[in-house]
Amino acid sequence: MRSTSVLILTDDGEFARTLTACWQVERQLPGISVLTGDHWNNGAEVAPDLLVIGPLKEGALGETLRNLANSTAIILCAPAEAKELGLLRKRYPRLLHVPLREDWTQVVLLVAGESLRRTEALRLARLAEQRAAQNANQATLGRYMMEMKHNMNNAMTSLLGNAELLLLEPGELSAQSLAQIKTIHTMALRINEIMQRFSSIASEMREVETPSQAETIDDEATLFPRR
Amino acid sequence: MHFSAAENPAEWTLVPKKVLIVDDSPAQVKLIQGLLEPEGYWPVGLSDPKRVEEAITVERPSLILLDVVMPGRNGFQVCRELKENVRFNAIPVILVTSKDTASDRYWGQQQGADGYVTKPFTREELLRAVRRFA
Repeated sequence: MRSTSVLILTDDGEFARTLTACWQVERQLPGISVLTGDHWNNGAEVAPDLLVIGPLKEGALGETLRNLANSTAIILCAPAEAKELGLLRKRYPRLLHVPLREDWTQVVLLVAGESLRRTEALRLARLAEQRAAQNANQATLGRYMMEMKHNMNNAMTSLLGNAELLLLEPGELSAQSLAQIKTIHTMALRINEIMQRFSSIASEMREVETPSQAETIDDEATLFPRR
Repeated sequence: MHFSAAENPAEWTLVPKKVLIVDDSPAQVKLIQGLLEPEGYWPVGLSDPKRVEEAITVERPSLILLDVVMPGRNGFQVCRELKENVRFNAIPVILVTSKDTASDRYWGQQQGADGYVTKPFTREELLRAVRRFA
């Protein structure tokens, strides 16, 4: 989970030290930054995956969160009045309050772990969506190429055949014209080779697709076993 | 070239072997004709695949070069129907087509085709296939 980031915002040094120390013994450690309320600058320059708010200077909480995006995941460990907490929850649907009781570090780590896993899963899902869109575009191009192959081959037959006929019976063609026809013939052969390579890749992909799909289905069965 | 079947050898003449080219594209027919004629064949073109049987009856070709992708009746169908007909099934059929996958080739064989040439072909490739049968 190194790709996720956590920002601890607190004016209480002990809070930051305790939480960081607990996190460091965990198996999966996110990138952790610590800021005090004075350096926060209304959250204008930071966009963490998770914001853990510890005790701040009195009355600073509302002001601190003013410019923060509504979608930010927040764990609030600072004491807050019920009314203020209600307002904050309304504004930040992903805010969770963890009272500073004896086991607060365990609760924060547990909730933070889940929150970061969700962030990571969302990131992967977005990435997969982008790749799927890219693949769909490429598949459209591939299908177009496959559909056009027939026309391309017919055109190439005329190109190659007529060049060969001219070379076979040059008549009164000049040496320069003959050389140009030879070039056309050679290039037509090269295009033909390229098209054949394309065909062989297409057929290879078809052969590979079947076992690949079978394996994917197996993977899905492992990940999501039917009950 | 081949000798005509006259009883008296003195009357034997060189008669070019007739090759029926069935392709909906006149340019392709003309091209194949141009490639076969200098080699001593007598190519006859047909662009309507529905009239193949009629053309065979009239022309009596030694070999048929048959395109596959054609409107109305495709080359696989034509080949299958010729090979099922005792009047025509002795005439060799070479499929000359842009369909170049292994499954196309296999399907052509299944329809009874005697040869398979993929487009684009070189002059040598076409002649090699034709010389096998005529």
